[in-house]
Amino acid sequence: MIPFSPEVFFALFEEYNLAIWPAQIVAYVLGLLVLGLVFRPSVSGNRFIGAILAIFWLGNGIAYHWLYFMPINFAAPLFAVLFVIEALILWWRFIIRGDLTFRFHRDIAGAAGVTLMIFAMVIYPLLGMASGHNWPQAAMFGVAPSPMVIFTFGVLLLATPRVPIVPIVIPVMWALISGSAAWFLDIPEDVSLPLAGVVAVFVLVRKNRRAS
Amino acid sequence: MSEKQTSVFNLSRRSILGGIASAGAMAAAGQFAPSIALAQPDSPLTRAIPGTDERIPIIGMGSWITFNVGASQKLRDERAKVLQTFFDMGGGLVDSSPMYGSSEEVIGYCLGRIKNRQTLFSATKVWTVSKSMGTRQMKASAELWGLEKFDLMQIHNLLDWETHLETLKAWKENGRVRHIGMTTSHGRRHGDLEEVMGSQPLDFVQFTYNIADREAEKRLLPLAADKGIAVIINRPFQRGTLIEKFERHPLPDWAGDIACANWAQFFLKFVVSHPAVTCAIPATSRVDHMRENMSVLKGPLPDAKTRQRMIEYVEKL
Ligand SMILES: NC(=O)c1ccc[n+]([C@@H]2O[C@H](COP(=O)([O-])OP(=O)(O)OC[C@H]3O[C@@H](n4cnc5c(N)ncnc54)[C@H](OP(=O)(O)O)[C@@H]3O)[C@@H](O)[C@H]2O)c1
Repeated sequence: MIPFSPEVFFALFEEYNLAIWPAQIVAYVLGLLVLGLVFRPSVSGNRFIGAILAIFWLGNGIAYHWLYFMPINFAAPLFAVLFVIEALILWWRFIIRGDLTFRFHRDIAGAAGVTLMIFAMVIYPLLGMASGHNWPQAAMFGVAPSPMVIFTFGVLLLATPRVPIVPIVIPVMWALISGSAAWFLDIPEDVSLPLAGVVAVFVLVRKNRRAS
Repeated sequence: MSEKQTSVFNLSRRSILGGIASAGAMAAAGQFAPSIALAQPDSPLTRAIPGTDERIPIIGMGSWITFNVGASQKLRDERAKVLQTFFDMGGGLVDSSPMYGSSEEVIGYCLGRIKNRQTLFSATKVWTVSKSMGTRQMKASAELWGLEKFDLMQIHNLLDWETHLETLKAWKENGRVRHIGMTTSHGRRHGDLEEVMGSQPLDFVQFTYNIADREAEKRLLPLAADKGIAVIINRPFQRGTLIEKFERHPLPDWAGDIACANWAQFFLKFVVSHPAVTCAIPATSRVDHMRENMSVLKGPLPDAKTRQRMIEYVEKL
């Protein structure tokens, strides 16, 4: 039950991308900072990473879902609320409680986490371009849900000593929703979302079992 | 819309109603009445709204997905051309819903640019819960379309229908809406719709019927004919999948006898030739497709024997 066509979806991306420019550049800079910080963990770095993730989710909830997609999608208000809730969860878990560290380890979780982060920033846009979704019609890192959710999976897998369960619930839900939309709207690059979700859940279970 | 301007039947209201009722009974018994399409040259085929002298063209237009183009100026202007073609070719009923994102707003935009829209038969839906939200939504829809009132207000998917029906009955009595109706597109809701049709004063019902999904022939279509309720058919192409599935196959040799040059016309003619159907509302985002669909208004329509042949041909493929 997707109420718009791919043509309209990408036309809206164009409008959105042009309206928020140069937020895409800012998002990339923040993403690179997060990537750098997981290799040099620190207390303030952890909070910074948590804050960036929360801001990404808040921005996507308000700007993308509420302001831009609501006119064409009756489900957008619900998605906006889910994204804002996720931003609050991330803030609470990583800033208020702040008892977890984001750290790259040379293990499966570390490799999967960093791979997903790089995938979101580099491979996802390349896959989009290969499917004909070029700027300004592309889903850009940080400001569009799909790459941002894949990035979130990557960062969460680096949480040490355990990957928190609650913050990963909404991203997994979104991966499923996006996966079905990818199928109906024929957006090949978004098939990576449910795949990233499966990888994230698998690695999370494995890492947490080892940690306990 | 102005009444009678597209009248094609030289039949009295009683004989039409009687014909539809008996055709409905025949449909229920597995038979079909012969085609009742008698077009005068150049005048589009119309059917009467039962119980009134008003007639509407047998092909209308849906707007799910196709008119939900948001704020894109380019896409809005493209849709204005689609709607212009619809009216140029004698179209009447335009169907939408608040559920269809920006469709109502886009229809309003397009209508504002179209001169020859006298035949417009505006149909939208109420899709929410509670009396106050329903009232607010219906008023908002009128503003989006740029209309004072709708020709038809339908309760979408039976959502909170008891509440909205009370409001709509009152609105109809006060002249705030001309006709009232109810819609569904789910086979599993047919039983509920049937109950409402049996017990409530509906002018219109809307449900799915196409050559691959003929469930409605069993009960809903005969009941509508029997009760004198106008029938709008949604998803005549099964959301387009019918055409996608069959376009690689050739049309039968005899398709020319019923003036079908493509599958879209074949499927539409099947739907609107059912005697209990008032109008089908295919949705399209393309001018060329709109032309194909609207050509059906020129007739001829298949008779009962040809309808059976159409089913057999499609089932063989
Ligand atoms: N519960 C309800 O109230 C309810 C439920 C469902 C539908 N409806 C109403 O019924 C309307 C019709 O149903 P629908 O839109 O779901 O499905 P539909 O009309 O069966 O199919 C629409 C699809 O058919 C394609 N199409 C149209 N004309 C064509 C042609 N000549 N050649 C090839 N393809 C063609 C369109 O693509 P192009 O754009 O490429 O032409 C579009 O993808 C809806 O728009 C809506 O207004 C109401």
